[in-house]
Amino acid sequence: MKARPINVLARVYLGLVLAFLYVPILVMAAMSFNASQFYMLPIDWSFDWYVKLASNARLLEATRNSIVVALVTTAIASVLGTAASIAFFRYDFRFKKVLQAALFPPIAIPWLITGTAMLMFFFWSGIGRGLHAMILGHVALALPYVIIVVSARIKGFDPDLESAARSLGASPWQVVRHVTLPYLAPGFIAGALFAFAVSFDQFVISYFLSVPGVSTLPVEIYTAIKKGFTPEINAISTLVIAFSITLLVIVSRFYRFGGDR
Amino acid sequence: MKGHDCIRFLTLAVSMASMTGLAHADTIRVLNWQGYGTDEDWSLEKFEAATGNTVEHEYFNSEQEMLTKLRTNPGTYDVVLINSAYTQQAAEEGLIQPLDLTDFPHSEGLQARLAHNPNLQYDGKLYGIAWLWGVTSFAINTGAFDEKPDSLMELWNPAHAGRLGWRDDAVESCQFAALATGQDINDPSDYDVIRERLHALKPQIRTFWNSENEWNQYMSSGEFDLATYWSGSAARSKQNFGLPIEFVVPREGAIAWLDGLSIPTDAPHPEAAKQFIDWMIDPEFYVQWDTEVGAPISANEKAVEQLPEGAFNKQLIAQLKEVKSLPFMGPMSDETREKMLEVWQETKTFYQE
Amino acid sequence: MAVSDTTTAPMNHRRPSNARSILALTGPAYLWLVVTVLLPLAAMFYFSFLSDVPLAARDWHATLANYAAFFQQDFYRTLMWRSLRLGFEVALWCFVIGFPCAYVLAKTIKGRWREALFLMVIIPFWSNALIRVFSWTMVLRGNGILERFLDWLIPGFGSLDLMFTYAAVVIGLVHSYLPYMILTCYISLSTIDDDLIDAARSMGASRLTVLRRIILPLSMPGIVAGAVLIFVPVIGSFMEPRILGGREGTFLGTVIEDQFTAVFNWPLGAALSFILLACVMIIFAIFQPILRRAS
Repeated sequence: MKARPINVLARVYLGLVLAFLYVPILVMAAMSFNASQFYMLPIDWSFDWYVKLASNARLLEATRNSIVVALVTTAIASVLGTAASIAFFRYDFRFKKVLQAALFPPIAIPWLITGTAMLMFFFWSGIGRGLHAMILGHVALALPYVIIVVSARIKGFDPDLESAARSLGASPWQVVRHVTLPYLAPGFIAGALFAFAVSFDQFVISYFLSVPGVSTLPVEIYTAIKKGFTPEINAISTLVIAFSITLLVIVSRFYRFGGDR
Repeated sequence: MKGHDCIRFLTLAVSMASMTGLAHADTIRVLNWQGYGTDEDWSLEKFEAATGNTVEHEYFNSEQEMLTKLRTNPGTYDVVLINSAYTQQAAEEGLIQPLDLTDFPHSEGLQARLAHNPNLQYDGKLYGIAWLWGVTSFAINTGAFDEKPDSLMELWNPAHAGRLGWRDDAVESCQFAALATGQDINDPSDYDVIRERLHALKPQIRTFWNSENEWNQYMSSGEFDLATYWSGSAARSKQNFGLPIEFVVPREGAIAWLDGLSIPTDAPHPEAAKQFIDWMIDPEFYVQWDTEVGAPISANEKAVEQLPEGAFNKQLIAQLKEVKSLPFMGPMSDETREKMLEVWQETKTFYQE
Repeated sequence: MAVSDTTTAPMNHRRPSNARSILALTGPAYLWLVVTVLLPLAAMFYFSFLSDVPLAARDWHATLANYAAFFQQDFYRTLMWRSLRLGFEVALWCFVIGFPCAYVLAKTIKGRWREALFLMVIIPFWSNALIRVFSWTMVLRGNGILERFLDWLIPGFGSLDLMFTYAAVVIGLVHSYLPYMILTCYISLSTIDDDLIDAARSMGASRLTVLRRIILPLSMPGIVAGAVLIFVPVIGSFMEPRILGGREGTFLGTVIEDQFTAVFNWPLGAALSFILLACVMIIFAIFQPILRRAS
């Protein structure tokens, strides 16, 4: 049914879209190797900015914070999210629909609104801002993703496997350990990686919840863009985006974006 | 619930880890514009060698933002730079503490009219140490002009349509318009005229700038023919970054300001803060800063005397004696401030249409 | 979803035990959402009716002035309108660019290639949005890569002047959200049976007719879902306009951000946020039936 010219056209089009998506990132990466502070062309290749980056205590501290927040967020969100997914799978109950719908707001409300609301509430209630507040916020954003991803995996689980194991004399713990968990593992890992990616890249919530001296990498990058930046920012951005993309390629091993194919 | 305990423990552990990070003694935190003297590395190294204190920085892009940072982060900053027009407001809100000039040995060199400036006082007490003063006007890209202009109206000159850089700041914008229309910059009487002047800038403005660094980047990539600027920053851009610019003191006058250094109410290291402020008003620091980097005019007479002949600021002082008016930014009523904010917000919306 | 009877509890205790298990499993997650989303939104709603930030040192009382400001000042409505227009335009461009792309992926490319290409399209969406917007400044700036490239392609092309314009904001946002549209359209398109299209073609329907009568209607849920999910975050965007918009970068989102980070008028910021939230709710309510079908 497909005439060749159409096919070629389709591929060219796809190539253009991919170029649109990736060229800016590549340009930014190229500029991080440009010695000129004002991004003058042609590029004067050098590693200066990466060397400078290695001694930029502020950015390194922010990187450390980003990783800590993302790790704690991942731990909390994947445990809480997996527990909730199991409940949704195992049981039918009156408020299930409502609870499932309640996962929507953190994703659907613009982050500007959730972020400023958290700022006001945390500041006013004495919870305060800082890394702990960011973790509170990031978990809320990551939870829906974890539940969606884990639920997608759990849906294919056959409960008969558990009863079969039990009828063969396995203790409840053994059932969980040898049957349920191994089955859930890929979903759990994908959910956890998702949570990590959501938290590591989160900017808006962190921005409103950061306090002087305690910020994450995206917040530092934004502050630098607004208050005066150097190509060190390109260098760190290049590293961050390379890291994110690697992480997501790994996620894709465990979770099929876009459902079954 | 067990899981919940676990979460509490984790958040607690993380917040404690972050708090111990903050609790390093002798590290003072300064709130200032970026690149405005307090963050010169060579000076901070000497300061550390002399006193053992290290210095960290937080930056703001407007006085409003500075005040909000003070309000929402009590007990965080040790030293804050406050334009004397805002010192009284900060004192009134209880954000900064009263100071005693005798705690600052180098203050003996300060010009009396600046050190005891009424704008730095509130309720009979001193709340800011006079540090620097200068003017807000505009700078030109010398490549775009045959002759250096001498009028404020150059900003509205259609020859530079789409080539003007403007700072996105409500008060500064309204004050420029007030100056251009001969009104009191701290309490304009006719906002319709101000609005009309600002609306007329629509075809002129290339983009807004928010920080000195941004200004330098735009100027160096040729985005601007001319842009509003501060005298000290112009000195820096020209001298330190080698940009082809000239600072213009228009014959109509310019907006003058006095910047003071203050100590927030709950500053964690007030003694180190005082040492640092004294370090900043020391002529030795100033002369090196101005000659090697570029700075506004020091409030310290001894410091200005030590500048070499022909220094940017010596010329500037001479030029400023010639202008028609040199109004200083002073405290404003809440109504004036809100009105300016509203006019500027409305103007920016007008620019979008 | 299957209801399984795999609890080890005896029959007669099943109900209370279930309730307890459900609570134990879902409780922590939902308690978390209450503290971090519901309570903050409630606090924000409360703040929006105050005259000043309710701190000990400040004078405050209940007022409707913050909402009144929105209706009395023309420029707030202009900005609201601008934000809505931005959301609409970005969603439209995402559709125009993304739908054909999703179609190509779903219908003309097969096998391992499809999987790899699909991944390449989707992955940017999950990578850092701030950095991707920032990367556009490298491309669009005067005398930057884009202008040099065009000048090389067409000598004497001149200046595009794209940086610091409304168009730059649209480009940055389309770049940010395009993968979303491709994803949702792709999911819808892949549920359309190829045989259906082949059958229509063999019965003499032109490509255009097939597109108009079969493909577009059947993929509508994906298109609408993508559009709504793009529209909502875009009308609340502030970082993208700040970085790319320059003088033309004032939107409702940037004004709200100002109220929190610069002006310290949290009540006004809260009121504006709630008006924005109301718009979001209305959009969701209108498209709810289609969205439900899409999920």
